[in-house]
Order: sequence, then C-alpha cells, then structure tokens
Amino acid sequence: MILAARAPVRHTRPVQNFAGALPRALLALLAMGALVAFWSGDSFTLNTLAAAFLFAGLATAWNIIGGFGGQFSLAHSVFFAVGAYTTVNLYLKLGISPWIGLLPGAALAAAVACLLSWPLFRLRGPFFAIATMAFTEVALALGNYWTSLTGGTRGLSIPFRLGLGNMIFRDRLSYALLMLGFAALCLLISLAVNRSRLGYYLQAVRDNEQAARAAGVSVLRVKLTGMAISAALTGIGGGLFFMQVRVADPAALLSLFDFGVKFALIALIGGLGTVYGPLLGALVVIPLENWLRAELGGILPGANLIVLSLCLILAALFMKHGIIGALSAGLRRVRR
Amino acid sequence: MSDALLSVRGVSKRFGGLVAVNEVSFDVLPGDVVSIIGPNGAGKTTLFNLLTGQLAPSAGQVLFEGRDISGLSPNRRAALGLGRTFQISQTLTSLSVIENAMVGAFLHHASIKAAARRADEVLHLVGLADRAGVRAGVLTLSERRRLEVARALALDPRIVLLDEVMAGLNPTEVEELVALVERLNAEGHTFLVIEHNLKVVRRFSRRVIVIERGSKLAEGTADDVLRDPRVVEAYIGRTRAA
Repeated sequence: MILAARAPVRHTRPVQNFAGALPRALLALLAMGALVAFWSGDSFTLNTLAAAFLFAGLATAWNIIGGFGGQFSLAHSVFFAVGAYTTVNLYLKLGISPWIGLLPGAALAAAVACLLSWPLFRLRGPFFAIATMAFTEVALALGNYWTSLTGGTRGLSIPFRLGLGNMIFRDRLSYALLMLGFAALCLLISLAVNRSRLGYYLQAVRDNEQAARAAGVSVLRVKLTGMAISAALTGIGGGLFFMQVRVADPAALLSLFDFGVKFALIALIGGLGTVYGPLLGALVVIPLENWLRAELGGILPGANLIVLSLCLILAALFMKHGIIGALSAGLRRVRR
Repeated sequence: MSDALLSVRGVSKRFGGLVAVNEVSFDVLPGDVVSIIGPNGAGKTTLFNLLTGQLAPSAGQVLFEGRDISGLSPNRRAALGLGRTFQISQTLTSLSVIENAMVGAFLHHASIKAAARRADEVLHLVGLADRAGVRAGVLTLSERRRLEVARALALDPRIVLLDEVMAGLNPTEVEELVALVERLNAEGHTFLVIEHNLKVVRRFSRRVIVIERGSKLAEGTADDVLRDPRVVEAYIGRTRAA
C-alpha cells in the first residue's frame, strides 16, 4: 500500500503498512527455507544454517531497541540467559515441555529487561551501552553462585531424550528448521513493530528525544515497550539455544564476545535500524565465521579470528550503512 | 479571564542566582495571535519552555483551558493540545518528510494509514506535499521550519507555539511563512509566537508582549507597544533628547 509515492526527488521512501511490507518478508523467509532444502543432506552446512538463523533472529530482536530505538544495549546476553535458564529449569525440574517453557522464559526476560533498563534509560548513547555492559558482569557473578538454577561454574546439562515434545532431535535438519522458525518469528514481529506507531515513535526517540516529546511521545514508555519486545524474543532465542547445545555454563551464556556484543555487531554489519539488515548480517557473518574456523582454525590457532576481525573492520570502513546500505546504493547506481 | 485558552500566572524561573523569567503573567484567547518580543537573552525561550514543559517553573502557574498544567511533562502537554516548534529546528533527520509529520499525527490516529493521511493534509497546508518522500535531513532551513509547523499541526493542537520560525529565512521565505500563519489563523488556529522581526510582528499580531530581563515590560497592540519609549529603549537604547 503506497500512500505517498509522488515525491520526485532522490531518497524517496514510500510509506508502507504491515500488509504492504509483508510479501517481501515472506520472500526472504522462503529464500532462507530454500537454503535449508538445498543443503538438507549436509550436516556441517545445516549446523551453520541453524546458527545463522538463530543469530538472524537474535540480531533482529536486538535491532528493535538497539536499531529502531537507538538504545545500544549490551545487556541482551542477560535476557538471553534468563530465557535459557527459565525454559531449561522448567523442563528439568518440572518436566514442562520446552515448547511451553519458552513463553515464561520470554516473559521473565522482558520483565528483567524492563527492571534493568528503567533506571538506565536516563543515560544516553555510550553511557547507556557501558552501564548495560556492567550488568552482564553482575549477572555472571550471580549465575556462578546460584548453583541450584545454573549448576554454577560446572554448568547445567540436559539428558539426551529424543522427542518432539522434548525439543531434542537427532538430525540436524530439525534444528535448522527450528531456528528458521525463530528467525521468522523475530522478522515478522520486527516488521510489525517497524510498520506501526511504536516503530515510528522508537525512531523519533532515536533521532531527537526533545522533538519526540513535543510531538506527544512518552519517551520512557516507548523505550520500555521496545525493550520488552526485544528482550522477550531474545529470551526465546536463549531457550532454543540451550535446548540445542544441551550443556552450558553461565560464562558461556553471558559471554559478551559470543552473544552480548555479537547481536549488536551483526546488526551493525548488516544495517543498523533496518528491518532486513540484521538478518542479512547474520547470514553473512556466521557462515563466514564457521568457514574460517574450519579452514584456518586447524592450521594456526587463532588465525580464523584474525581474518574474521579484518573482514569486520573492512566492512565497518567501507559499508557505513551496512550490507543493506551498500546493496541499496549499488541498486540505485544500476537503475540510473 | 476564565475563557482564556492559555493563562500564564506569575510564572518565574530561577537558575541558581539568575532569574531568567520573573513573575510573568498574560492570557492567550482562542483565535489570537500573540507575539512575545524582547532583546536577545531576555528570557523569551525560557518562558516558552515553561509553557510547553521542557522546564518546570520555580514559581507561578500555567493554566491551559482552566487546568493547571505546570507539573505536566512536555508530551502530556502536547497530548492536551500544545503544539510547538523549536528555535533550533528539531527535525527527525533519518525519517522522511511525511514520516516526520506522521510522528505528530500518531497522537490522534493510531493506524499508519490514518496517520499518513493526516500527515499528507498538513504537508499540503504548509506547502511541503511535493517533498513528502524526501529524507528530512536534506531539507533547506526554510523547509525544516515549515516541517516543524506541520508536525505541530498534525497534533491537531488547540494552540501552536512558534519559537522564532522566521530566523535565518530570506524575505521571500518570511513572506511565505507569514502568509501561512495568517491563513491558519483565519481558519481558527491560535498562535503564540516569539519573533525578532518587528515587521512580522506588526503584520500579524493583535497583541504583543514585551519581555526584558525576564520581566514583562509592556503589553498591547503592536503599534502602541512599538511606540512605547521603554520598549524603544530596551531595543535600541535611549535617544539623546530623552
């Protein structure tokens, strides 16, 4: 539904509602499904795809508050861990199926996120980011001592009991499809937020809080709502991740390098604040990371990380608006 | 003055030892265009920020339609019907022109479609409809000012507060904007305006309030006030004969 397509000048951007933007999203998901179908017999690639889809969902979720809302949270690994431990403990202690346990995990992650960020939303820009990062350290200490929930530093493991209800599978294909479903959920919710009043308010808050207030926007409420949605999805991702790896300790779940910063990094590489950027970022960064680990990791330990960092630095230098920005600039050049 | 739309009663603002606004009182009636003038640093913008909620008054009351709004946040006041523009233009630079207006329109129109329709209407009012899809960051100063007016109008406000919208515009652009305010006023919109350009003040103000060093110096019709020797002195200094 194009409502304002008259503008004759460059940088035009029609106003679309959710229904109008939906076909493109479904096309993207279909393409991701095609990837799974194409490599359905190749375990290594399926593993890579599952990880890429998981991070596509997580980066998309982070982008709702970090990209649309401009609140550069590095505490998302905390919400990730809250979701993971809720789902897994409900399964291990009460026998509740993870499929159901994901929901309280999401709710608790959202609640924790709102409680944590309420006082922090007074801080702007880098100060907000640093304060959220500090929370990961607090959460790690808490996780290491709360042995009844987390297993402490020895970690928690889930016995291998195959079954759809237990969300435990032997084949890699099921996990790839599970993570594809998660990515689809995140993409559709992100799109729905983006094409709604909340999405516009988040962007207004990111651009200029004073102007947003003058337009009747309750800045704190908008930030908290965006954060809650973002954290809820991140919590679901945490539950899915734990059920897939089946053994993890607090240090692994709360790792800034593996999760907290990575969500933001992937969104940045893909295209911060765009709907499809984080998705694309994950589909490029994660396979690249896995491939480098397989090719270089065995030859010289750490060489894969050096090359990966170089790639990321180059991307940051030459694609200021991420992969999405570079693609659309290229597309404009071709059309002209 | 119970029928006043906006009623300012003995409002003061102190920053430490500095009294930026000192017991200022006035009323704005529905359908008015009231101008606030005064030398640089007189406290006009501070007064404005007290009215729209960016600052809280140290003393006094701001009444809107008879209700005390002194303690309300800027967004609550905007929701009640106070639209404003800023002296240093505050457009949402990553959004397009129509999306900027939509952010205002969302106050009363929850759906994207309805907000876009309302935004399109106000863009037509201010003459920016042909720029709807352009990113607001690339607009000229004059266009940004008009976009801010559009965003304020999209709130369907009871009163619009314009903080030096003419500053930095060339005579043609000033003329366009004055004509816009006159037209909107004729349609029933109420304005409270901070303005430096005395020609503009004479043109559309029935009532002028002069602020100097935080206090109200004079109030009256444009012609009377601009002839007042105290006002002339505040602006250009004492004449030798006086």
